[in-house]
Amino acid sequence: MTAPMMIVSLTALIVLAVESLKKRTETIDPTLAILGLVAAAVYAAATLGSSGTAFAGTVRTGGFAHFFAILFCASGILSIMLSKSYVAKASIEHGEFYSLILFAVVGMMLMASAADFVIFFLGLELMSVAFYILAGFARGRLMSNEAALKYFLLGAFATGFLLYGIALLYGSTGSTSIESVFEQAPRLIGSTIFLVGLALVMIGLTFKIAAVPFHMWAPDVYEGAPSTVTAFMSTGGKAAAFAAFLVIFAPKLTLLSFEVREILAAIAALSMIAGGLFAIAQSNIKRMLAYSSVAHAGYILTGIVAANSYGSSGVLFYLAAYTVMNIGAFGVVAILETKEGGFLTFDDYAGLSARKPFLAGLMALFMFSLAGIPPFAGFFGKYYVFVGAIEGGFTWLAIVGVLMSVVSAYYYLRLVVMMYFRSGEGTFDQPVARLALGALVLSAIAIIWMGLFPSLVVDLTSRFFS
Amino acid sequence: MISPFSIILSGFLFAAAAPLLQRFTRDRAHVILALYPLLTLLLLINEYGLVVDGPVIRESLSWVPSLGIGLSFALDGLAYFFALIITTIGLLVLLYASAYFKGDQRLPRFYLLFMSFMASMLGLVLADTLITLFVFWELTGVSSYFLIGFNNQRAAARAGALQALLVTGLGGLALLAGFIMLGNIAGSYDLPRIMESSAIIQQSPLYPAILFLLLLGAFTKSAQVPFHFWLPNAMEAPTPVSAYLHSATMVKAGIYLLARLSPALGGTELWHYALSIPGAITMLLGAFLAFGQTDLKRLLAYSTISALGTLTLLLGLYTDDAVKAALIFLFVHSLYKGALFMIAGSVDHESGTRDIRALGGLYLQMPATAAAAVLAALSMAGLPPLLGFISKELLYEAKLQAPVAAPFVTAAGVCANALIVALAAKFVLMTFFGQAHSTPKQPHEAPILMRIGPALLAGFGLIAGLLPDQLASRLIEGAVQAVRPEIAPVHFSLWHGFTDVLILSTLTVGAGIALFRWGGWLLVRGERMRVLASLGPARAYDSLLRGTLRLANALTDAIQDGTLRHYLLLALIFLCVLLGAAAAPLLRHGTLPAMSGIPFHEAATAVLIALGAVTVASSKSRFTAITALGVVGFGVSLIFLFYGAPDLALTQFSIETLSIVLFVLVLPRLPKLLDTSSLSTRIRDALLSSLLGLLVALLVLLGADAHAPSHLQEFFGEYSVPFAHGRNVVNVILVDFRSLDTIGEITVLLVSALGVYALMRSWPGERQ
Repeated sequence: MTAPMMIVSLTALIVLAVESLKKRTETIDPTLAILGLVAAAVYAAATLGSSGTAFAGTVRTGGFAHFFAILFCASGILSIMLSKSYVAKASIEHGEFYSLILFAVVGMMLMASAADFVIFFLGLELMSVAFYILAGFARGRLMSNEAALKYFLLGAFATGFLLYGIALLYGSTGSTSIESVFEQAPRLIGSTIFLVGLALVMIGLTFKIAAVPFHMWAPDVYEGAPSTVTAFMSTGGKAAAFAAFLVIFAPKLTLLSFEVREILAAIAALSMIAGGLFAIAQSNIKRMLAYSSVAHAGYILTGIVAANSYGSSGVLFYLAAYTVMNIGAFGVVAILETKEGGFLTFDDYAGLSARKPFLAGLMALFMFSLAGIPPFAGFFGKYYVFVGAIEGGFTWLAIVGVLMSVVSAYYYLRLVVMMYFRSGEGTFDQPVARLALGALVLSAIAIIWMGLFPSLVVDLTSRFFS
Repeated sequence: MISPFSIILSGFLFAAAAPLLQRFTRDRAHVILALYPLLTLLLLINEYGLVVDGPVIRESLSWVPSLGIGLSFALDGLAYFFALIITTIGLLVLLYASAYFKGDQRLPRFYLLFMSFMASMLGLVLADTLITLFVFWELTGVSSYFLIGFNNQRAAARAGALQALLVTGLGGLALLAGFIMLGNIAGSYDLPRIMESSAIIQQSPLYPAILFLLLLGAFTKSAQVPFHFWLPNAMEAPTPVSAYLHSATMVKAGIYLLARLSPALGGTELWHYALSIPGAITMLLGAFLAFGQTDLKRLLAYSTISALGTLTLLLGLYTDDAVKAALIFLFVHSLYKGALFMIAGSVDHESGTRDIRALGGLYLQMPATAAAAVLAALSMAGLPPLLGFISKELLYEAKLQAPVAAPFVTAAGVCANALIVALAAKFVLMTFFGQAHSTPKQPHEAPILMRIGPALLAGFGLIAGLLPDQLASRLIEGAVQAVRPEIAPVHFSLWHGFTDVLILSTLTVGAGIALFRWGGWLLVRGERMRVLASLGPARAYDSLLRGTLRLANALTDAIQDGTLRHYLLLALIFLCVLLGAAAAPLLRHGTLPAMSGIPFHEAATAVLIALGAVTVASSKSRFTAITALGVVGFGVSLIFLFYGAPDLALTQFSIETLSIVLFVLVLPRLPKLLDTSSLSTRIRDALLSSLLGLLVALLVLLGADAHAPSHLQEFFGEYSVPFAHGRNVVNVILVDFRSLDTIGEITVLLVSALGVYALMRSWPGERQ
């Protein structure tokens, strides 16, 4: 059943209707949106064991698709919880904000459940268009405008690649069904059109996951977009693109020539190295997190390159962990951000542990997890994909990953040093909204829970690829 | 039956409860917290007979079964030995710290971190799988980081903490890589399985790499040359932390790892050299550098480095005697070094300084502390009747019978030990005896809780020295057996008779006293050497850090300059390289389809499209550009029309018309087009885009033969009426066969409209 998608779409429409009918919607809109997402997530969780297709075999349901549906809903719920006070602070309180998030979630769900290239493209566009607008939602801020425009132009470019790639694949196989395209892969392995089509699809997706050398938009967009939107884009959006990566490539990557995997491995290594190095140089925390998300894209790609069940289910685990830890980190940033969009640099965070001990503690937890230090969720994500890479014959990639983890420890822990070992002047007197704090606490619980009891998620994810 | 897992878990629970306890008990949390190490210690002592003689206690919980990771613990002789040290010294240091930090605001945080560290350290030595071991290894690193940075208002403390974490963090990750490789070869992460696979591991071509990675982990944690520099800098930590982490526990973790894995990895020639040589260098350099120190804590830190070097050297020799000597020395060292660190802290706490030149004659004011210091120093110097003497005798015996380069090893040992004797003398004589100086604070005896620890540790060194067979031999035997199962029963005695070992001992003490009395010249030279030697690796660390930062900044400036055009440039270059690589073999083997027979109207349309595109790119007026863009669009529609797709052509026509109309509406509102890019930029862009276009065209032409026949026409023609009851095939496709796509497209349009509306509405000026 495609019920999760329908629930979320319907909620989006209801939110729109309420927005146009009622006068004061500051509370009812986010409440409705969260309820809809929770309902969809619960439904998806209940039907996780099923599997099937819908709409003449163009959409897959159950299992893998529903796992991602839960992930996207979680990303949406947490982002909305953070957003309510944030949009009020930035005076961009409009109901469309929530329906756009909901539509983006629908797009993500379509991407993760696509069995047909057209559906996949549709989901991608639905998500991307919503993102373009969300990135520019703080229209009063120049940075936000710039972010939206850059994202739109580069995104349109990527879409062009992708669509051309799909067209070439159709041209060489006569089908848009993902499965039937790859059924013919052994026959077409020497065909240039087929390979170029594949490469273009891959490049389009590489744009969306923000891997080097197609990562350039990420820092500018992540910095300029409203912080809670960044939290949502960088987790849900990335997870959706990786879901599509898995749907399209994972089961068949070994069928393709080794060079395809080598190219992907090179992209993964470049992302880890460049993302890590660039992150060191940042003084703005949002930009640092943006580059770190480029590096994380590299780690996650490692799992895809591995092309075995360890790697693939590792990607799922990593994405789940990444979603909660990154939303947490951006959430702290969003809470601390001032009305004018300040309080974003490392120096601003000096001595935070004395002024906001609880927030600082949560941020430290998110940083440790992002750095991959056990026993937090981030460690198992890394461990999982590295084991996959070694089993898949890409030991060198795992070694690059391990080395770049040391580098990443530097920039994550630098923030911890700032918060705990520096004294800062200035006061921080903004009240912290309880709903936003709730989102952070939920994320923290998930991180610790997945770190201490990873097998609950591991068992679930490995089922999809056995 | 003792449960290792519950012990570790309750340690973390105590840690979590510490801040609350401190609040409810009004600064008496240490009384309750001390119960944890005390009870654990009693439990361990209760199991003494069982563990030392009996079977290994194992406990396994499933953790991530599908990844083959269990949460397994084992309490064997070696783990028992380390656990005893960790809990005993932990208990004493905890009590010591409660007095040391009395009234400090940060005490709750200290307890939290200290207890977590203790629990992690216990987890590390009790772990029975590599992954469990690694998790606790990293946990000790993180909690130690916060403990070292505890004096966090000082820049030096922060730098020291970060340095310690980065150096040991690098080692930790190397360790993880080594563990994964080890687990891959042995087929399991369980330590018993890895021990069994010793032969396979040692014959594996990966053996040198594994050994290298593991040594990197162990050497960074245990401060071996050239990674020793972080330990003295970590002396910025408050003294209770140094007494616990930097004498008895964390720095011994590397040694523990080497001992633990030696049955699987040890005994090869590579093992001998890879451990003995760095060990010997560390032993000598540490002792030598310690000699020039004037800060009590740094002096102890360098002498700890020397001791760690000795341990690595002994494990590298890997004979029965060497392992025995290593473990007894580790035990003795933990006792006296823990005591001396606490004493240094007491001196600092009561007198206000720990500069050895400003101290003297303190025995009058601090008699009890002085007594403990004398005992501990005698043990350090290895004089009878203390346990230190027995340990040194065994040390020499092991070195004399070393399988490789015995004379050299022995000579190095004598030199290092003579320096250690001089250091012990220096520590005790210059602090507590001799001329009294005026100190920042009027010195007086330390509080009782700060005297218990040193007194008990130093006192035990004396009692165990008098009754070695009763108190130490079975403990050491159990620990040695975990590493070398076939070893004969261990017996210690204070008096061995007149052997060459005794001669060496006497020589050492004589040389040590001589060095202390007349070693001034060495001190000067040591001072000079210290600058050189500590700068070497420390400077390498600094320049590595700074170089990375500079590289990062330069790269960011060069690549991420915020210009959209440059981003596109990079992406397109990558694309060209990729497509070029794909096209290269085809250029040699492929054949272009015949170009003749293209009808005139098609060729003319193509030329029109090309001209339009060039005009768009080169035009200086927006209006011209839009018109030219329209030409391109209409040209494409014509091509659709030529190839029998009138519906598609029609759609394209209307879209083109609509967008031109929209453009023209917006046009007057836009600012004037500014010609900003230089000629060279434009040439570069033109070349790149032409190259990309040519490559794509070439690839499509070369691969034209791979087109699959399409069955869509027949399919829809055949099934439109029976399945969908519609005769207009295009409509049927849109609303029936691909209805989901259509509804999706409508949603995309809705979202776009929504976006436009939201953006218009959210303009701040127009809100009211």
